[in-house]
Amino acid sequence: MRIVVVTSGKGGVGKTTTSAAFATGLALRGYKTAVIDFDVGLRNLDLIMGCERRVVYDFVNVIQGDAKLHQALIKDKRVESLYILPASQTKDKEALTETGVEAVMDELQQMGFDYVVCDSPAGIEHGALMAMMFADEAIVVTNPEVSSVRDSDRILGLLQSKTRRAIEGREPIKEHLLITRYNPKRVEEGEMLSYKDILELLRVPLIGVIPESEGVLHASNQGEPVILIKEDKAAQAYDDVVGRFLGENRPLRFTTYEKPGLLKRLLGGG
Amino acid sequence: MPEPIVRFTPTNLAGFVVTLAATSPARLADELHKVFAGANRYFAGEVAVLDFREVTEWPTHVDWAGIAALMRRIGLQPVGVRGVPEPFHTALARLNLALLDAISPEYGAQPTPHATVAVAPERTALPAATPEATQAAPNDSPRSASRIIDRPVRSGQQIHHPDGDVILMNGVNPGGEVIAGGHIICWGPLSGRAIAGAYGLETARIFAHRFQPELVAIAGIFKTFEQGVPPVLAGKPVQVRLEPTPETAEMRLQFDILEL
Repeated sequence: MRIVVVTSGKGGVGKTTTSAAFATGLALRGYKTAVIDFDVGLRNLDLIMGCERRVVYDFVNVIQGDAKLHQALIKDKRVESLYILPASQTKDKEALTETGVEAVMDELQQMGFDYVVCDSPAGIEHGALMAMMFADEAIVVTNPEVSSVRDSDRILGLLQSKTRRAIEGREPIKEHLLITRYNPKRVEEGEMLSYKDILELLRVPLIGVIPESEGVLHASNQGEPVILIKEDKAAQAYDDVVGRFLGENRPLRFTTYEKPGLLKRLLGGG
Repeated sequence: MPEPIVRFTPTNLAGFVVTLAATSPARLADELHKVFAGANRYFAGEVAVLDFREVTEWPTHVDWAGIAALMRRIGLQPVGVRGVPEPFHTALARLNLALLDAISPEYGAQPTPHATVAVAPERTALPAATPEATQAAPNDSPRSASRIIDRPVRSGQQIHHPDGDVILMNGVNPGGEVIAGGHIICWGPLSGRAIAGAYGLETARIFAHRFQPELVAIAGIFKTFEQGVPPVLAGKPVQVRLEPTPETAEMRLQFDILEL
């Protein structure tokens, strides 16, 4: 079993959207996957996954022994072998104890899961540290703006020092950089950092660039992971991310801006 | 004869004894917050021995994992405890915290009666400076006083190497900080803070492959770049050193562009 944390430092950059899409993508390929919401107190993942009305028990209930893990895991209705462990909206975030989280991870392993995707809360506090604690790999989500890149840099530092792998001196966490909300037109116009600038600043292998897309907002309002909306470019970019994560060679898409041609402009397309 | 793949070398690691007069993580967190003003990773990953000999009232349950997490949050790595009653020993063993009461009981800070949390620095002397240490390890392989950092130094990270030079193979990002007793040699961008000769060595220098720092300092004389690094230097290979001004002989920072 591999544990993957989706983290960023900064809020609102697309961690939960990414967690939902990435976990769904893994499950679509037949891997038994659980996605866990570590954002205790806020709870967003179940909304994005469209299972908010099916939540009975949550992650904290399991940690505190009020419910069994199999009672709290919600089986996705669309994708076979995808499970969601929702966060608690009522409990204190300190309820996520290290031993409790570890016990849940051990049990998921025993249940035969291939991947566990941990959706980290924003910030560098307790919840975020717990989300990364047991991770084998990390997807660091960054928007093309300076403050987001700075926060990601901070998180990368924590991944090297605060996780079990680091504390026990094992092989370091495998880091992946994911740039979301990328708008090639605004990059061209100098309003956004280019993915090359970000790569140079962070010096972490790039796993993908997700273009800014209406589909993402639409999908999250519908309670559907964006990766399922096949015709959307963000969905295709997320599919590339899953492919690259599993070792496939997928060239970057949606990173260059093509000026609309004269004909297209005259015809009003674009 | 092949080199043995496991070797044991005595060492005096730099570390701290943290005297804790309470066991509730919440209370300790409060106190630490006052001391460190909420700064995460105040320390740079030094080992810590937690001394509980000043605790007068022991509760039935102690959140040892919580206490250890607090220590890690301020950048200390707890390795053992002292002065903990026997009923807690199994819980401590589960967390891999050593019971150090039996080992050199005199090693430690003097109890401080006032503070709830007393943080006593306990830097041991440099091994090279003590003849006993060199004698104790006659088979020790030659050691470099320099420290090589292969990964980028990231925002919020601090490399503190008082005993010699620091060689950075992957740059310093904005918000990262390097403090060296000796020189700082930086491959890749130097975008954070570089403090060389931190303990007064005026001959220390800073070499940067791509010079774009937030701050540089040598032996306490520093320069910030509020208006940005001057264009003649920015992004260039640069050396920084101290030089006396011709008029007053006062030391000032000198920036030279290097030919590569």
